[in-house]
Amino acid sequence: MLRYALTRLALLLVGLAVASVLIFATLRVLPGDVAQLIAGTQGTPEQVAAIRERLGLDAPAVVQYLDWIGGVFSGDLGSSLLTGTPVATELLEKAQVTVPLGLLALLVALAVALPFGVLSALWRARAAGTAVNVAAQTLAAVPVVWAGMMLVVVFAVWVGVLPAQGFPRAGWSDPAAALRALVLPALTIGVVEGALLLRFVRSATLDAQGRDYVRTAAAKGLTRTQALLRHGLPNVGLSVVTVLGLQVAGIIVGSVVIEQLFSLPGVGRMLVADVAARDLEKVQGSLLVLTGFVLIVGFVVDLAHRVIDPRQREAA
Amino acid sequence: MHRRLTLASAGVVAALLLTACTGGAGEAEPEPAGSPDPDASVSVRLVLEPGNLNVRETSGAALDQILIDNIYQGLVTRTPEQEIEPALADDYTVSTDGLTYSFTVREGVTFHNGQELTPQDVVWSLQTAKDTPAYVDSDRLAKVSSITAEGQVVTLTLTEPDSQLLWTLTGRAGLIFKEGDDTDLATAANGTGPFTLASWRQGDSIVFARNDAYWGEPATSAEIVFSYIPDTSAAVNAALAGEVDVLTGFDATLAERVEANGDFEVVTGPSTDKGTLAMNSLTAPLDDIRVREAIRRAIDHDAIIEALGAGETLYGPIPPLDPGYEDLSDVVPYDPEAARELLAEADAEDLDLTLTIPSFYPTTIPQVLVSQLAEVGITLEVDSVEFPVWLQDVYTNRDYELSFVLHTESRDFENWANPDYYFTYDEPRVQELYAQSLVATDEDEVAELLSEAARIVSEDMAADWLYNGASVLAVANNVSGMPTTNVNSRLDAAELGKS
Repeated sequence: MLRYALTRLALLLVGLAVASVLIFATLRVLPGDVAQLIAGTQGTPEQVAAIRERLGLDAPAVVQYLDWIGGVFSGDLGSSLLTGTPVATELLEKAQVTVPLGLLALLVALAVALPFGVLSALWRARAAGTAVNVAAQTLAAVPVVWAGMMLVVVFAVWVGVLPAQGFPRAGWSDPAAALRALVLPALTIGVVEGALLLRFVRSATLDAQGRDYVRTAAAKGLTRTQALLRHGLPNVGLSVVTVLGLQVAGIIVGSVVIEQLFSLPGVGRMLVADVAARDLEKVQGSLLVLTGFVLIVGFVVDLAHRVIDPRQREAA
Repeated sequence: MHRRLTLASAGVVAALLLTACTGGAGEAEPEPAGSPDPDASVSVRLVLEPGNLNVRETSGAALDQILIDNIYQGLVTRTPEQEIEPALADDYTVSTDGLTYSFTVREGVTFHNGQELTPQDVVWSLQTAKDTPAYVDSDRLAKVSSITAEGQVVTLTLTEPDSQLLWTLTGRAGLIFKEGDDTDLATAANGTGPFTLASWRQGDSIVFARNDAYWGEPATSAEIVFSYIPDTSAAVNAALAGEVDVLTGFDATLAERVEANGDFEVVTGPSTDKGTLAMNSLTAPLDDIRVREAIRRAIDHDAIIEALGAGETLYGPIPPLDPGYEDLSDVVPYDPEAARELLAEADAEDLDLTLTIPSFYPTTIPQVLVSQLAEVGITLEVDSVEFPVWLQDVYTNRDYELSFVLHTESRDFENWANPDYYFTYDEPRVQELYAQSLVATDEDEVAELLSEAARIVSEDMAADWLYNGASVLAVANNVSGMPTTNVNSRLDAAELGKS
């Protein structure tokens, strides 16, 4: 187990190193630069060159990369080229919106997917099962933006119980207001992601139903449903954990769209603005942290798998 | 000369429904019932957020719009109607030869950090603005040879007359800072204006608080919240849910939606926004004046105004709010038949052209252009690019055929007298007339010279001016004192109140 964990950790670090090079390189391919944006449309070429020099953008790419990575190793993610604010400070501030949003969305997704996924498998021969299945297919196909707009129109504009956009300026010092601001965005991502997950839970449940151990349990006198619930579901849970790990990345991507739609000052919206402003130092720092986060989630999921599922341990 | 261009996202988002806008240009703002609450917090939706707050070093209309007049001030300022009036100077005189400007600096003015404004601060601010090429508009002070203070009087001496100088002093180059102040201007501010910077949450909002130590009339509201909501439907929903009080950069075609519940009214005011279709005359086929004229004749300008739901037609480089305006609609009346003939004459039938447009503009304009140019046999390909790409390809490298940008800046005729500007227009007569207008000391003479130059620019088909934009706002019924003129460039919030 320890050997597995160490190998897996080494893989994680290699992944991060590769990602850092990719992030750095792809950003450098983008046309246009921040110096030109600061100088604007009055800037002479000399002014643009002076700004570029002041920001250290005139150094060779390799030097810039090594500077950056060297900083990262000493705990410095860099700072915004535009405001000079440290990337870590900005990320922490924006994460206060995005992380709770992601967690809430995940909760909503699970609340939708687990019960209805199992039910639709159990009821697959009945009309109710078909109804759940069709509903899930439909919801999964709904564009997130449209779903969000509908929720806003109903709950913010018509009923007026929830805010249509924005996040309280006081942040989490007023938890109720902060939470209220996240309800509609979390529902929007959660329901759509949940519908996707539901179909997965359903097929995992159906698969479990056909397994030997469920049949054996049924032969010992349990009803098929009892057998499935007691012996099948733990295995379903295991595969759901894996899919959830993958969904973390999906939710981060989804937050980019949702934060625009709901004008939430989160990580996703920050990234979009920073790319548009060519604040590359900030973008690469933020992306590295996000990539690291996703890789670590994958790492944890893999380890959790080994711990939960004895068969994988034996196989190793 | 200097080159200048500022951009604002037009108040013209996707062409949804063509609904008539309720207000005509220049319509007075709605008068709310009840007097404004001095403790109110008024929330204003803006579109483009600045990247940082350093007004001396960072260009862009987003900074002028909120910081000048509200936070920072100059010796003089401009009214929405583009008149120049005293601000930190309580009086000023200009010598008859136009070479000496004397400003009496107001007494009893303090900066937001409590320090007093001295004439030396004025001298220092203007001198550093002039001496630091990296500062925005620094070159606009080029004709100033000396800046001195004696008592409360600051004197600017010029090497030759500069009819633009007072105007320049109402802008970036004329802002007054505290000498030796170590405020980090990128994220904080220390000015003399009626508001202090209370907070900036990047990607969200900038909050101004009333400056209780202000030398002039105190601001009406305790707090102004500028919320950056780029998404139009999010903005409309926020208004309908009562979360914002004023929407700027509003899409006039959405008037019906925001007015539906009776809490909002859409108002429009004139602006100096010029929807400019630049034509690169350095390359074929646009180096042929007949082709450029054909393009202008093929465009139905009234149809564009209709599609936008607001604005006025414009056929030359100077809008009605600026000196030198003249109605030039006689230069190129809409005439697709003539356009086809011109193209045939120029041997340019079945033309393929590319329009490069920054991606933050709505699709209305390109859509109208594509269909109208198709009528005369021109196939228009629309290349929507990120602004940094536009800056690089079109602005710096002048590598484009047609380009659309909404030029918001007032009194920016100089770009037509600058052959290096991305417009690629190089006409010595225009450059000469503009130079004459700069050294002229009589306002009427200045306007006359500019108007003569503007006619030449239009007759040379240097570009097409698709429309003169309107300031389109949705204002809640309980809001008063919202400026309606040219708010893309300046948004003086001092009188903005809510009851």
